[in-house]
Formats: sequence, structure tokens, C-alpha cells
Amino acid sequence: MNKDLTKVRNIGISAHIDSGKTTLTERILFYTNRIHAIHEVRGKDGVGAKMDSMELEKERGITIQSAATFCSWKDIDINIIDTPGHVDFTVEVERALRVLDGAILVLCSVGGVQSQSITVNRQMTRYRVPRIAFVNKCDRTGANPERVTRQLREKLNLNAHMLQMPIGLEGDLTGMVDLVKMQAVYFDGENGEKLRYEAIPAAMAAEAEERRQALLEEVSMFSDELMEVVLEGGDIDPALIYDAVRRGTINLEFTPVFVGSAYKNKGIQLLLDAVEAFLPCPIDVENTALDLKNNEAEFKVTNNPADPLVMLAFKLEDGRYGQLTYVRTYQGQVRKGDTIYNSRTGKKVKVGRLVRMHADEMEEIEECGSGDIVALFGIDCASGDTFTSDQISCSMSSMHIPEPVISLAVIPVDNKAQINMSKALNRFTKEDPTFKTFVDHETGETIISGMGELHLEVYIERMKREYKAEVEVGAPQVAYRETITNRADFNYTHKKQTGGSGQFGRVAGYIEPLEEGEYEFVDKIVGGVIPREFIPSCDKGFRKSVEKGALCGAAITGVRCVINDGAFHAVDSSDIAFQLAAIGAFKDAYMKAKPVIMEPIMKVAVEGPSEFQGAVMGSINQRRGMIIGSMEEGNYTVVEAEVPLSEMFGYSTTLRSLTQGKAEFTMEFATFKPVPRGVSEELVKKYQEEKKNG
Amino acid sequence: MGDSSMKVNNPIRALGLDNTAGEGLQSMGLVIARAGLGKTAILVQFALDCMLLGNKVLHVSIGQSVDKTRKWYDDILSMLTDGEKIESIPEIMRNRMIMTFKESAFTRAKLEERLDDLVKQDIYKPTCLIIDGYDFEHNDYASMEELRGFMGQRGLKMIWFSAVSHREDKRVSANGVPAPCHEVDDLFDIVLFIKPEGEAMKLDIIKCDDCAVHPGTSLGLDPATMLIQKN
Repeated sequence: MNKDLTKVRNIGISAHIDSGKTTLTERILFYTNRIHAIHEVRGKDGVGAKMDSMELEKERGITIQSAATFCSWKDIDINIIDTPGHVDFTVEVERALRVLDGAILVLCSVGGVQSQSITVNRQMTRYRVPRIAFVNKCDRTGANPERVTRQLREKLNLNAHMLQMPIGLEGDLTGMVDLVKMQAVYFDGENGEKLRYEAIPAAMAAEAEERRQALLEEVSMFSDELMEVVLEGGDIDPALIYDAVRRGTINLEFTPVFVGSAYKNKGIQLLLDAVEAFLPCPIDVENTALDLKNNEAEFKVTNNPADPLVMLAFKLEDGRYGQLTYVRTYQGQVRKGDTIYNSRTGKKVKVGRLVRMHADEMEEIEECGSGDIVALFGIDCASGDTFTSDQISCSMSSMHIPEPVISLAVIPVDNKAQINMSKALNRFTKEDPTFKTFVDHETGETIISGMGELHLEVYIERMKREYKAEVEVGAPQVAYRETITNRADFNYTHKKQTGGSGQFGRVAGYIEPLEEGEYEFVDKIVGGVIPREFIPSCDKGFRKSVEKGALCGAAITGVRCVINDGAFHAVDSSDIAFQLAAIGAFKDAYMKAKPVIMEPIMKVAVEGPSEFQGAVMGSINQRRGMIIGSMEEGNYTVVEAEVPLSEMFGYSTTLRSLTQGKAEFTMEFATFKPVPRGVSEELVKKYQEEKKNG
Repeated sequence: MGDSSMKVNNPIRALGLDNTAGEGLQSMGLVIARAGLGKTAILVQFALDCMLLGNKVLHVSIGQSVDKTRKWYDDILSMLTDGEKIESIPEIMRNRMIMTFKESAFTRAKLEERLDDLVKQDIYKPTCLIIDGYDFEHNDYASMEELRGFMGQRGLKMIWFSAVSHREDKRVSANGVPAPCHEVDDLFDIVLFIKPEGEAMKLDIIKCDDCAVHPGTSLGLDPATMLIQKN
């Protein structure tokens, strides 16, 4: 294991769907000798790319789960996380970014900066991830890396500058001009593995010199030494330029842009050199943890292997040999057989097997240290848990997890399918915090919820394929919520006397809106008016009540239930009596607390030719959308809006017909907002009818 | 603090322009200053004032992104409310739409076309228009006059422009309006000029037909926040 942390790079590869991330990763693995043959994502050989290890990923040609892999380039160890591009799998991207030190932002040279690139860039900014940009697919018709670089500046506000110039474009792409070393680089051999360095073609020399000067002017801002040399006008050591670019990149003040075509094996080795030269090593990046023994005070992790262990579990997978937990170590080290602590549960766990992941294959290792990304076997934990040694108690700051917005019912076809489905759901909910499941007690149906239609579709497919769980699927439903807007008092007595021992319980108190969180129970009983053993029964009764609201049957969130009085009977009071009393009390108070229905609002970005801007805005307006703004760039416009999810079903068809198929849209969850009165009345009516019809 | 008290505390009141936004007066205003002195901050204060009164604002930003423009609103609103969370803010923000254009992509005809799209389809009917970054150097008197006419036809009550003046350009109109707006100054009902004075920032009222404050008055600007000082 390489112990010199300056020789370690933990990087992610993020981008818009179909910009060629997985193809790029495949080439990286090939050039770093991790694989010995290249397989395409949708290749005719049917093998599929190495990083797309799931059958479903190979079939659809998209990356669903991020897979971690390790490789070495020259004397540098690189841990790569390949992340999904579709917005429905955004939590995978978020989790990867949390543990990475740097990233390659892959862009399509034809499509340029698309809305998902904006989302990914925002996520990178949130986690302060330094990035280099790779403009891929320069061999494609319409390739224009220059335009993409401009978009990086204008749309993403990045100080982006090309460090290379492509030699030829589209079908004529043959190599690159390196603007730092001022030489031309060509990629020979069957897989472009042999680099040939030559003088810059005469026809490009003047332009290359001009661009180099512009680049030097820009990067000399990050190095006084370079600025002096530039001003003096002498020969410039490339090392000086590298150093300046590196400083700018790590401080998020500069984004170097590289060009190439992964598919045509052009430019990948130079990109790997850039990873080494410009992206930070673990000690360049400041990471913090919360000291649980000191009022959650923030402290900087040290990266020192001699310090107590701090390690974050950022991804779980349930494989053939049990749970596989991907971890990033921030300080200290772990050996096989060590005992570590889960700071959330306080439980001790023993490290059985330590492995370095290579997509779906693994390599056993004896130890791992600061800066490493490895996987542990057989450790029970949740995604986002922090592991430490016994000398320290801390937690890495929490990760941003969006709320699920869409749900559907899944019905197993037989008993065997039921058992398999339970196993599958158990695994999926542990792996993916944005995927949730519960049983609707009224209908007995199992409901799954997630971030979008594709998100749920993929899990249903996985259920069928990996767990042989045949299920019937209901229509997608918006995950509405109910919440209260006022405080309301209750005083309810549950009394039943029908022969034998009776039931008696009285609870009094109030419910009120809870600003943050879903549910809270507060016990303010004094003097034993409700015996201690029945307090949890009241909590249980309230919890049951919030599972389903009276307005439209959606879960109730943001409610605090407070009990401050009550009564019991020495013989007739019981657990069930107090549960029923709490349920009755909640029912009484709920409507008085002015409940409202909340709906998920999506942030929608529609990109298309400007001539359709009016039509696009009209379509958003018809869908109860609020247009935030529009950005017009020549013939192309992006309209940003907030639209209720319930109005977005079938929007892709509408948009296609409105814009002759020339516009596309992406959406992601923004917030929950109360539905307008008309919609609320309709939802209530529909729910009442459903209840009446059983 | 509710939004009603925000209206009362809004320092834009210092200009005495209270009635302009709400009462259907059609007026065209201009904020002029050298680059980087806070023209957008002033325009956003006017826009927020309109929005708080329940009027719809279309903010046209030339050369800036939607996010950057939105951030101006968030920052100014946060300063006006002292960072306090106000329930009605999401509702107030429904009164704002941002439209951005690249410098090279903006034309008066294009703006008129976009505004027509919004108004005729009943998508959004602004009563106040903010145009931040209009190129006065390359637009003549006639086109400004047409724009003013167009504003009236589309039911806009207010239109506010920003313009960049240059230290080296000494041209000035008879009313004291500096270049590049010196030749179109009679089309504006209000002209405000931001100028630094030592450590302080001043907002000179060069022209104001409807203000309670007389032309020639100079108001103080908080240099840290660019809010008009109450006293």
C-alpha cells in the first residue's frame, strides 16, 4: 500500500447522462493496466463496460450504482468513484462527492453544459470539490470544445480555460496541442496506448501561441513567481505553470479544461497526468468532523495515520457474501481484526475482511489508512455512519439526503414473491436513503417511494432479476403529505365496557406544528395521572395516527404531540386502552389544527431553441408552475421553473409535441408546499370516495 | 416581522416614491453610476418595493445569470428583514420573474416579443420592468422613445434602467444627466446618480418629477449594504 498521501488521489467522475463517463472510466482502467481489453457500454461483444457490473446497467447502458475502483497511474494511487448521471440517482452522486477530494467533470462536446451538468456542478460546489473538466466526444459531428468551455464560464461561473487545443475535430480528430509544454501529442497503436510527441503543426502554431499567452495571463494570478517570469518574458518552466494551475484548481478559482474522445482513445493519458498534476491529494483538502464529546464542536481531521481512526461509511451494498460497506478513512488506520466503534449506535464492531474494490471484483488487503477508499465486509451499519477508534467519539457532518417524492404500490404475485420482495426491500432501503418503503395498513399494500419514475422502475427490475420477486405494480402516485398549521387541544377518554375486563384511558394535551422534523412526542405528565408504563402506549397511538392523515390519506409530518393530563383505572387501563385513547385524541384534535395537504414541488429546467420559449412558458404555466427565470443565449433558451410533481406526469410527451422534439427537460426535488384549495378539495373528495368504495 | 412592516421600513420610502408603484402612474426611471458602484442593488430595492405592494416585476438582466440576479434579491431581502425568516417571502417571490440575455443576444425587439409571449398567453403580467445592463451607447433616442411607448401599451406602470457612466466621458445634459444618457434624459421621469464621496456613498436625485424629495437632494447610501439610509 502506498503510504505517501501526496501520491493518492480520490476522484469522482460526474456528468450529464450519456456524456461518456463510463466509457472514460473503461479507458482509464485500460491505460492503468487494471483491465486488459476494452469493452464498450453497449458493445457488440455483449460484455459491457467494467464499471457497469449490474446486468441492468449493461442492458440500459446507464450507470445506476456508483462503483468504486482503484488503479495506479505512474506512481500515483487513484481511487475512482463512477457516479450515475441521471438525476433520479442524485443521492449516489452526492454520497460520492462527500468523500472525494477532486473530480473530473465530463462534458459532451456536442451537448455542452446541460441541466444535469448544472446540478452536478452545484453539488460539487456544495462539497467544495476541486474539478477539472474533460470535453469528451470531440470526434462527434458538431463537436465544439471551445463553445463548451465558454458555457463552463457563463453557465457554471467557472474560471475555465483550455490547457489543450484539439488537432482536428469531428472525424478529423488526431491529437492535441499541449499549451503548457507547447508540443503536439498523437495517440498511436490499436488502443491509442502509444503517445507520439511532435512539434505543433505549422498551421496551428500562431493560434497555439496566442492561446498560451491568454492562459499564462490567467494562471499567473495564482503564482507570483510565474507572474514575474511572464512579465520578464523569458522561458517558462512548465513546472511553474503546473504549480499555478494546481493552486487555482484546489482553491476552486480555476478549472482547467482538457479535450479528447474516450471512445476513440484520444487524450485519456493526458487527462490522467492532469489528475496527478492538478487535483488535490487528501492532505490538500480540509475535512471536518463533529466532536460528540464536546457539544458537537467542529474539528479538522488530520489525515495522520498515527491519530485515532475517523472513517465514514458512504455506501452499502448487499452482495453474495453479506453487506459490503464502502468507507473513506480521514485519519488513523485500520487493520484486519481491529475493533472499531460506530459512533451513531455506540456499538463495537470487528473488522473481518478489508477489500479494495474494482467494480464487482475485490482484492483482499491487510490494512488501510488515511485517505483510502476501501470496503469492509460483514459490518452492520447504515449509510453515513462514522466509525472511530475507542479514543475518540465524533461524527462526520451529515450528508444532504433529499426526500422521496413519488410512490407506487407493489403487490407480490405469490407467497414466495412476498418473501423475496421483503428481502429485496430490506436491502434497497439500507443501501439507498432516498428509497423508502412502508405498508399501507388500510389496503395492506406495500408502498415504495423514491426520487422519480426511473428510480422506482430500476428497483422493481432489480427485485425481479436479483431476488426473483415477481410483483405487480400500481400507477405512480405523488407522495403527498399532510401537516397541521395551528395548535389544537384534546381531552379524550377511551372507555369500553362489554363484559369481561373493560378498557379505560384518558389523555389530554395538545398537538402543534413542528418546524423541523416529522414527529415529536412530549410527555408533560406530572403526579402519575397516567402511569409511566402507559406513556409509551400514548406515543405508539400518536405514531399510528400520523401514518395516515384524514384529508387525503397521506402521512402526517411536522407535528408535535404533547400530553399534560389524563386518567387511568386500576383494573381497566391497559397498553391498548391508552393507544386507542391517543388515537381518539389525535382524531379529535387533528381537524381543529387546520390541516393542509402538502405536495412535492420540483425544480424544472427546460432547454430548447428560443423560438419555443413562449410555448414552453405556457406549458409550465398550465401546470401550476412558477417560472423563476429564463436565460437566453443566442438561439438557445433555458427556462427555470418550480412545478408541482403531480403536474409533471406525461410532460415529456407534451414538450416533444410543443417543440418538435427539440427541447428537453430535467427535474429534481425542490421542496414541499401546500396545495391550492381547489386541488386540496379534489384530493379530499377522491380519498373519501375511495374509502366509501372500500 | 411581517411583510407589512417590511413595507414601512423599506428605505426606498426615503425618496418619497410611495405612490408611484401602486397608483398606476407610468414613469421611467434611471439609475446611473460608474461600474461596480451598486446600480443593481438600487434597482432590486425598487423591484422589491413593487413586489411587496403586490405588483409583478419582470427583471431583465443583460449579461448576468438568473442565479446571480436571484442572489441580489436574496441578499437585499435578507438585509431588509435583518435575516429574519418571514413566512410570506415565498409568496412575495411569486411576483418576480427574471429574464436574462447575453449582451450579444439582447435586442429591444426580442424583449418586446418575450413580453408579448408572457402577457398575451396570460402567463405573467408585469407592472414593473427592470432592465439592468441596457446598452445606451448603441441605442438612440428613437428606440428609447419606442420602448417607452411600448411600456404603456403593455400596461407597465414603471420601468427602471441602469446605465454605466465613465469617468473620462465628461458629456452631460442641461439637466445634469451624464453620458451615455445625456441625450435621452428628457424621456426619464426620474434620474438617480450614485457617486462615492470619500468613504461614503451618495445617491443624487438629478431629476424626479413625482418624488417627494426635490431634485438636487443627495441621499446617503450604506456603503456596506447599498441600502438607502433611512435618515
